[in-house]
Amino acid sequence: MAIKGYYGKLLDINLTTGEINKAVIPEEDIRRFIGGRGLGTKILWDKLPGPGVDPLSPENALLFMPGPFSGLPIPSSSRTCVVTKSPRTSAVDPKFEKGSTISYSNMGGFFGPEIRFAGYDGICITGKAKNPVYIRIEDDKVEILDASKFWGMGTEEFDNALIEELGDRKFESTYIGPAGENLVPMACILNTAARAAGRGGTGSVMGSKNLKAIAIKGSQSPQLGDHKSYLELLSKVRKSFRDDNKESLKWWRYGGTANALASSSRNGTQAVKNYSEGTFTDIEKIGTEANREKIWKRDFACFSCALACKKSGIAKGSYSVMVHDGPEYETGTMLGANLLISDLAGLQKLIAVADDYGIDIISVGNTIGFLMEAYEKELIDKDYLDGIDLKWGDVAASLEMMHMICKREGIGEKACNGVKFMANEIGQDSHEFAIHVKGHELAAWNVPVNSDYWSITYATSNRGACHMNGGSPERQDQAALRDSLAACNFASRWYRDDLSYAKFLTSITGIEWTEEDFNKAGTRIFNLEKMFNYREGFNIKDDVLPPKFFENKFTVGDHKGAIVDKTIFNRNIKEYYKLRGWDIKTSKPNDNTLKDLDLEFTII
Amino acid sequence: MNDAKKYTRRHFLQDIAFGGGGLIIIGTYGFRILKDNSQNLIKAISVNFEKCAGCRTCETACSAFNNPILIDGEKMNSLGNPHYSNIKVYHFNPDIDIPVTCALCEDPPCINACPVSPDLITGRKALYRHENLTIINDPERCISCMQCAKACENLRGGVIHPNPETNRPEHMCTLCDGNPQCVENCPFGALEYIEIPADRELANLAPAKIAERLIEKLYNLNV
Repeated sequence: MAIKGYYGKLLDINLTTGEINKAVIPEEDIRRFIGGRGLGTKILWDKLPGPGVDPLSPENALLFMPGPFSGLPIPSSSRTCVVTKSPRTSAVDPKFEKGSTISYSNMGGFFGPEIRFAGYDGICITGKAKNPVYIRIEDDKVEILDASKFWGMGTEEFDNALIEELGDRKFESTYIGPAGENLVPMACILNTAARAAGRGGTGSVMGSKNLKAIAIKGSQSPQLGDHKSYLELLSKVRKSFRDDNKESLKWWRYGGTANALASSSRNGTQAVKNYSEGTFTDIEKIGTEANREKIWKRDFACFSCALACKKSGIAKGSYSVMVHDGPEYETGTMLGANLLISDLAGLQKLIAVADDYGIDIISVGNTIGFLMEAYEKELIDKDYLDGIDLKWGDVAASLEMMHMICKREGIGEKACNGVKFMANEIGQDSHEFAIHVKGHELAAWNVPVNSDYWSITYATSNRGACHMNGGSPERQDQAALRDSLAACNFASRWYRDDLSYAKFLTSITGIEWTEEDFNKAGTRIFNLEKMFNYREGFNIKDDVLPPKFFENKFTVGDHKGAIVDKTIFNRNIKEYYKLRGWDIKTSKPNDNTLKDLDLEFTII
Repeated sequence: MNDAKKYTRRHFLQDIAFGGGGLIIIGTYGFRILKDNSQNLIKAISVNFEKCAGCRTCETACSAFNNPILIDGEKMNSLGNPHYSNIKVYHFNPDIDIPVTCALCEDPPCINACPVSPDLITGRKALYRHENLTIINDPERCISCMQCAKACENLRGGVIHPNPETNRPEHMCTLCDGNPQCVENCPFGALEYIEIPADRELANLAPAKIAERLIEKLYNLNV
């Protein structure tokens, strides 16, 4: 009998052999790692034969992990975490040729809940199919089906084609686009043609398995440990979403994260011109108001969510395009402000094309920004870029580069590997402005203003630079917990005190989760990821910031002159290791720390 | 009455086609209120497609209430797997979500299609309208012919489906003992429990048809 609130079941599919197993997830693992990101990492740890596995080889495992909240109508708590070994990261001093970090990336939408409705706590894909396939799951019935006719199809077209093939609109699905099929390392996985597990190259791992899509529906429900108290909590939290934090609710519905485009720019925390500036003077042209006025038609919510931060509409002007989601803060910054693009229809076109190919917009925007800077500095010329005149603010040139990258044509064959790779290719000290950590590009929050927070956030994130990581051990552990429950960061303010996540988890499992137990689980999950990386050869040399932040001063806006102080960063990171109970010379978690967290099995 | 209906339908289509003013807010459009045979005003679930954000909370609330479970002998809401809900939200691309639920139609095609002869005393077929206006299946008399589902599918929203085990029709709206849980829990105020104006049937189409019209209105690149 599984722990209450779970099925204790992993749908384990080997695409090489076609074997389909409904494997038992050890009770102890569920207790220690909860679900989603945490449980996914533990399963991955067990699945891999050891460090150094090629992320794009059949041995790598690709996990789709809902959490214990997924599929229950607990508001804004049904995300899906994709966990795998990253095809994006590499150590400064590689211990293994294919050594790379953990990768986790989570998406909203409707896929995770449906995994739970079908009676599973997760799906694990290993191996590699001979030909393109998709997987169709209806409760116990699991089929691996031919997807040859869909191979090469953009996500926009495929989203409808798959539903037509299935003949049932109640299936939920997740899939890759051509970028994933082409093994573009920064490819992502999407659902509903827009919501993406964007980061960490999840899509190329899926592509390497010849897996185009998973479609799933189901009729199961788990049994809860304390059903009655769950119902009480549910009714209280629903009331709280009606009555409390009304301004916040309004903020999310009005603009979603796009609201931060203007405020972040004002505060000097935006990635502008390949992180040279923190403020974009043209930000209003692509901000919430402009979109409300010209583009957005409707707000959309994920499963059982009241925030509805996804915006859809239609862009007309320099380009005409259906807008499924955008801009939000990350996409608007990385393909807008960071490239000095302020043509709103052009920006929407870039976002739509990226989503259609299925590529991580953060990484591709960062990479195009890097190339623009190298081109401006004349480290590379037009010939090097296959004739693309890659100037700041140029939509057509950016679009062309996007196509090349996603198709791996010409310069795109190199550029699709991201900025760390390109800096090695271009040389001439271009690594100084290659904005990545561990090979993973930074996201849309710039570092110098609030540098104490952002430098720790990026330098210490386990998947390589990650804006969702948090700038202190406590915040990182809370993020790891949310990603493990499947809860949404944007709604976390509703889950406090009497309505804490720990209280919900207690009612679901019937096992008393004190705040202390709960927080400790977050620390445990984060440390497991850290040990995954340490085993792969990542250490203190990899917890760094790109040199640009120590050398470049902002020249625009209220925060003119902002820069990161290297001495302070070095002091902060030592302090961080101490708080973590990690060795300040190597960054390795101390054995006692690991033992205290029930992570003996990771001690090396 | 038929003329009035035709006019309304044309008017509705024009609104959609020209994008003029025609917010498809069922319930705020039209004059006549529906009544059942005994002239009771029909109150049912009205969907405001402008407000729906597609979160499917209604599905979970409907399923939880209408498929209760017993815990220590006490009847409680279940976890609400949407598979069992009577209201269904369908996603479409271009992005639009269409909640569809039994409209408790004034002239229910499902009941009209039921071939079981009316009971001599109650006058009820195997599918009948209850005093509380909901559409009820009598499993004792039902012959599982599914004419009701076909009628609903062809003429209305297509909400009735056979139960996979009993093969009896299900997913007719129960109104949740007078307090519809979908309405109660919709975070966006997109559902209302109101007296249904006569033109409701115009929007009570198959979800794909509704989606097609809304998509044309919202996402037309050529307008």
